[in-house]
Amino acid sequence: MASLKLQHLEKIYDNKVQAVYDFNLDVKDGELIVLVGPSGCGKSTTLRMVAGLEDITSGKLLIDDRDITSMPPKDRDIAMVFQNYALYAHMTVYENMAFSLVLRKENKNVIHQKVLAAAEILGLTDQLNKKPAQLSGGQRQRVAMGRAIVRTPKVFLFDEPLSNLDAKLRGATRREILLLHKRLRATMLYVTHDQTEALTLADRIVCMSMGHVQQIGTPLELYDTPANLFVASFIGLPPMNFFEGRIENGSFVSEDFKYPLNAEQKELLKAYENKEMTLGVRPENVVRADSGIRVRVNLNENLGQTTLVHGTAGSSKITCKFREWCDYKEGDEVYVGFDRVHFFDKETSNAVR
Amino acid sequence: MDEKQIRRDRLRYSKNKTSSGLALLAIVLNVFYFVSIYKSDVGNYYYTWLTGVSIIFNLVFMLTVFLCSEGVKNYHLGYSVTLIVVGVIQFVRTRIIPKKAYEAVVILADQETKVMTDAQHTRIIIYLIASGALLILAGVIGIIKTATLRAYEKELETKTAA
Repeated sequence: MASLKLQHLEKIYDNKVQAVYDFNLDVKDGELIVLVGPSGCGKSTTLRMVAGLEDITSGKLLIDDRDITSMPPKDRDIAMVFQNYALYAHMTVYENMAFSLVLRKENKNVIHQKVLAAAEILGLTDQLNKKPAQLSGGQRQRVAMGRAIVRTPKVFLFDEPLSNLDAKLRGATRREILLLHKRLRATMLYVTHDQTEALTLADRIVCMSMGHVQQIGTPLELYDTPANLFVASFIGLPPMNFFEGRIENGSFVSEDFKYPLNAEQKELLKAYENKEMTLGVRPENVVRADSGIRVRVNLNENLGQTTLVHGTAGSSKITCKFREWCDYKEGDEVYVGFDRVHFFDKETSNAVR
Repeated sequence: MDEKQIRRDRLRYSKNKTSSGLALLAIVLNVFYFVSIYKSDVGNYYYTWLTGVSIIFNLVFMLTVFLCSEGVKNYHLGYSVTLIVVGVIQFVRTRIIPKKAYEAVVILADQETKVMTDAQHTRIIIYLIASGALLILAGVIGIIKTATLRAYEKELETKTAA
């Protein structure tokens, strides 16, 4: 396996559209990095640049400190797993997995051993004589992964590999990818727009928007200390609640409520007195209280262990995630408090820390 | 697994492309044969009822060998045997139309002229013999590989049962 460095990577298409701006990332040996962001944020373009499927406009790409920026894809020793599996329909699973090694003219016995070993890891031993059409979506994706594994590449690239699977299969295959990573300790770059995949799989997450890297960090860092409003709104399900307001006399004052700051927060927001701020609260940090912020319930969703309550606090929408079974009706009123809040500079949208 | 066992194990997941390829090549050579035999070098031809039979045989031959090439690919013993039989028939065929046509004479401009030149005769004989040899080889390889695979599968079954 190998380390991967992306230095000041930029991509500008022929029509002058810039897809990626100054992308910098150091992927350590054996690390699983997830690029996450909404559609069109440049994550797949970045992955394709690493694979060599897109030209790099500027910047450098290094594997084990060797510059591969202008190297053709076949020489990069990188394996890519695509969303649509890209399997050869007329070949059996065995032939699909062996194909890249056959092209390299490797010894047939060596190929056989590698294919069997990969099939064993992926639980495909009984499927080796089947054609892709005879397999389920999850099995096909495993074949695609097997094809990558047999090559023992330096870096694995995954481009939304679970997007074509139904929810149940997606969960199961996600766990398989995680186990595979633990077993192979391979350097992996994984692209998804699904934050659940990002949070569960990643050693580190790169959150992107509009071609810019918004934050790089561990899943907990992105969830717990988002760098800006975008990351705060993108990571977490249901998304974070936001309220506009100002810091006045030791309190956050919005049109709809007043939130008194504790000593630590006052110290943190000293420089923001009388400035416009955005207060962010995750739904799970909203707690029921005897008094405080009054929420008028619009919708009550019971999820078993938790209840999602959607409502309004004055003119602002709010979603609360309570840890117990609730049975509110539309129009009911409930008082809530916040046990953890985040502050964002309204001007820059960056988090205040 | 040692080398020998890996080679045997590979048979479980790979098709017998060697036999299949040889059989297809035999069809190609047979096509060369009948294209050559129906085109006389001296601009005339020796037509008998055998020509019709030969045309029908060629069609049946191609169909049979093509089917066998698919069957032998999947290690079916019967198809391998059929290939050998058809291969032997190819050898026998050298003694029928090619021989008769080679010996036949027609009168052209009041002169006795041989229907088939030595060169054409040699060519079609080579095509037929090569085609037959390839079919026999394909069949033999098919039988050997099928027997090896069956024995290996039996061995695995015994191991699993134990």
